[in-house]
Amino acid sequence: MSLARRWPLPLVLLLTAVACKEQGAQGPAAAGGGGAVIGAALSLTGPAASYGAQQRAGIQAALDDVNQGGGVKLTPLIEDDASTKEQGITVFQKFINRDKVSAIIGPTLSNTASAADPLAQQAKVPVLGISNTAATGITDIGNYIWRDSLTEAQVIPGAFKKAKEKLQFNTAGVLYGNDDVFTKAGYDVMQKALADQGVKVVGTQTFAKPDRDYNAQLTALIAAKPDVLVVSALADNAASIVAQARQRGWTGPILGGNGFNSPAFIKNAGAAAEGVMVGTSWNSLSQDPANQKFLAAMKKAGVNPDQFSAQAYTGVIILAEAIRQSGGKTGREDIEAGLGKLKDLETPLGKFSFTPGRDAQHEPSVQQVKDGKFQIVQ
Amino acid sequence: MTDLFLAYESLFAFVGINGLLALSVYATLCCGQLSLANAGFMAIGAYTGALITLRAPGVPFIAALAASALAPALIAVPLGLPVLRLRGVFLAIATVGFGEVVRLFFVNWDYTNGALGLVAIPQRTHLWTIALALALALYVLGRLRGSRTGYALEAIREDETAARTMGIYTTGHKLAMLVLGAALAGLAGGLEAHHTFMVAPGGFAFGRVVDMLVQAVVGGTAAFYGPVVGAAFLTVLPEVLREAGARLGLAPGPFRLFLNGAILLAVILYLPNGLVSLPARFRRRARGMA
Amino acid sequence: MGQQALNGVFVGSIYALFAVGYTLVFGVLDILNLAHAAVFTLAAFIALALVDAHLPLWLALPLAVAAAGLIGIVLERLAFRPLRGRADSNISGLISSLAMATVFEAIALQIFGPDISRFPQGTFPDRMIRIGGASASLLQLCIVGTSVVLMAVLTLLLARTRLGRQIRAVAESPRAARILGVNVDRAIAMAFFLSSALGGAAGVLFGLAFNSISPDVGRSVELKGLAVIILGGMGSVPGAVVAGFALGLIEVFTVAHLGSSFRDAVSFAVLFLVLIARPRGLFGRAAAREA
Repeated sequence: MSLARRWPLPLVLLLTAVACKEQGAQGPAAAGGGGAVIGAALSLTGPAASYGAQQRAGIQAALDDVNQGGGVKLTPLIEDDASTKEQGITVFQKFINRDKVSAIIGPTLSNTASAADPLAQQAKVPVLGISNTAATGITDIGNYIWRDSLTEAQVIPGAFKKAKEKLQFNTAGVLYGNDDVFTKAGYDVMQKALADQGVKVVGTQTFAKPDRDYNAQLTALIAAKPDVLVVSALADNAASIVAQARQRGWTGPILGGNGFNSPAFIKNAGAAAEGVMVGTSWNSLSQDPANQKFLAAMKKAGVNPDQFSAQAYTGVIILAEAIRQSGGKTGREDIEAGLGKLKDLETPLGKFSFTPGRDAQHEPSVQQVKDGKFQIVQ
Repeated sequence: MTDLFLAYESLFAFVGINGLLALSVYATLCCGQLSLANAGFMAIGAYTGALITLRAPGVPFIAALAASALAPALIAVPLGLPVLRLRGVFLAIATVGFGEVVRLFFVNWDYTNGALGLVAIPQRTHLWTIALALALALYVLGRLRGSRTGYALEAIREDETAARTMGIYTTGHKLAMLVLGAALAGLAGGLEAHHTFMVAPGGFAFGRVVDMLVQAVVGGTAAFYGPVVGAAFLTVLPEVLREAGARLGLAPGPFRLFLNGAILLAVILYLPNGLVSLPARFRRRARGMA
Repeated sequence: MGQQALNGVFVGSIYALFAVGYTLVFGVLDILNLAHAAVFTLAAFIALALVDAHLPLWLALPLAVAAAGLIGIVLERLAFRPLRGRADSNISGLISSLAMATVFEAIALQIFGPDISRFPQGTFPDRMIRIGGASASLLQLCIVGTSVVLMAVLTLLLARTRLGRQIRAVAESPRAARILGVNVDRAIAMAFFLSSALGGAAGVLFGLAFNSISPDVGRSVELKGLAVIILGGMGSVPGAVVAGFALGLIEVFTVAHLGSSFRDAVSFAVLFLVLIARPRGLFGRAAAREA
């Protein structure tokens, strides 16, 4: 009855798996010519797959631009974290210990980040988050964790203040996605911003990300007769919510969070998007050369630019600059030091710097949909 | 070599945790009950352990783990009494419902930050902790196999009415296994929370318990260690496929998903008693040829 | 109030159509077909692909529904028939349908990508209609109408036609049906065709209604579908219809009065209550209790 005799199969499998990896091993990740290997952990399958796809497009566009520019050479290693923390951890460990990357970009979801980033911190590998918007639990992990994604806390208060000035509202009905970290974190901030502005919330409803039918919630909110509808949702839900709100007879203003910031939102909501006001971390209309370069690169790749791809593109630019800041050296400590020196970098997000807490710092903006396009609200 | 080990340390950890989870489903399967509540039990255990560690940092890890196992076990009793009377698919659906209710509870509970979950949990689980827990679970289930209780469970699985007529206290046995499964799932949850630094409701959706069931069945319920074999196989498989996919130049993602489904189908159709029945099959074939 | 009732009828009609297929297969085979939601999703994508290929809507929809039915036949042949006769066919059927669901999702992901796909603008005329004090879009009314018609057709088919009688005979007892000369294999295959066609129809209508199709779109209906068939009674088609509308209305009024966080929890609360108090649901006949 010896167990040892019955374990051959999984043992063989494990050994095969290990053997497969051994053959692919390339030793330390110096990809010739002083280039740096950057690991990108993105959600390419699972619930966050659409963001991961956008991020991958942004990263590849940035790599083309950076590598063609000469000087710094970056080699990407893109892996799928399947929108789960287990895969995120596995991918991070592979990057850190097997591929020996110089830095890691990602992961897509804040939940995955709070599970995987600590490993990088322990191993002293710099991580640059490009879409982690949870207010706490990301950069607090340690000094090797950085991010270029503005949290809603940095965007919403200013946006709501401006909106209140322009629209003069006193009551609000709120709808938010309560099962997704992006939208829940956004809601927490919106709630506080509304309270700070002295706005009374007359109704709060929630939805879950897979939902497609918001009629019940919207009908209930509209019945409470708020001055304005406030929505924390991601682009796809947002488009349907706005369309259904108009169908249910809502003619008043709608305020959205970061998630609305996508041309896909306008395209899919159609006429219903008119007048929607959005606080955004990426000014899609910016005429800055850095943004124009990004837009051109995305157009060439045939991908709709959005906040996720903009932040991903910026992430690569930031890493390239960090390498430049440390004299072209591509080790982990060099990049870490370079990130610390980075200041006022021209990026598609605007002039970018890090806060002392390694969070992102750049000017957010408020946009409104007019004539089927986003316009800046002064 | 140590780098190689480090690169796969978490993989081994997940194999162990998934092994515990697969065993927790097996606990009810061996008396013929398909209970799909274990993602909910795991969530309860994970949150209990995490809350204790975060809010009462002086409490030793072993106590937090014990609480992770105890909390769902206690909840399993009032759940089991009404629900274990249902047969087959109805029990499965009721337990799926329970799991979803637990998940929704945590999504809506502000004390645990809803969807954001609890983060920055100190990493107190090591590989040896998981190995120890797994060994304990295997020991308990292994001892059960040849014992009187084990025979009673088999009898219940074969024909519950007959077992009852023979004088076996079927409700008690079924409830006991449900509680055992809950404790194992809760323990796995506590271990995982202290390994991955965080716990959030998204990790306890319907898909999670489906994974546990699949691992138990693919490994095979004929042997008490079958579920662990299944867990090892199906946890390592995505990594193997990741390499294979990269080698073949395929985009990561859909290909792995496809193979996952295809392999599962192949096993369930052609190897119904799971992977552990493979050696027996080979032996039979070899004997047949001789 | 009236608006919410309309909302409830609308979402209920889709739940009902989805659940009818679910319960049909259970009634016939005593197996829960977890790939039903995947067929729902695939049908929506097929309809989208046909419309993108410039087929008119009135042609694309029935074609997508027929395709879904065919997928159902393939599903039965691949994943369920080999398992018939096995002692643990409940569990193994569950798992093999799960495997097929994964395969279908992978195919959808590969062909259409993870992003949300939409019907092109203007696929369906955009008109609002006022009923009493409430408003509904023409699309919503058509969907409710189509659902009801399809369910009525199925009920008639089961009650009046020879095929329907054969299916019901197999549902009652496959052995007796075979002795009586019914081609059991064919009846089961046809049951799957009907079930998947209806599930597919639900998917197509859902896709049209909300214009937001992605590989995971079946997930939101999958678990609700379980609550519906339990409430209605496993194996009972009229039960699924009534329960579908009932659940839609219950959900909508929960949102209106308790808030949306409770909405999904209410479905499961209903599920539990039914299972504990009256496991066979409103119209079910299958024995649901051990003792």
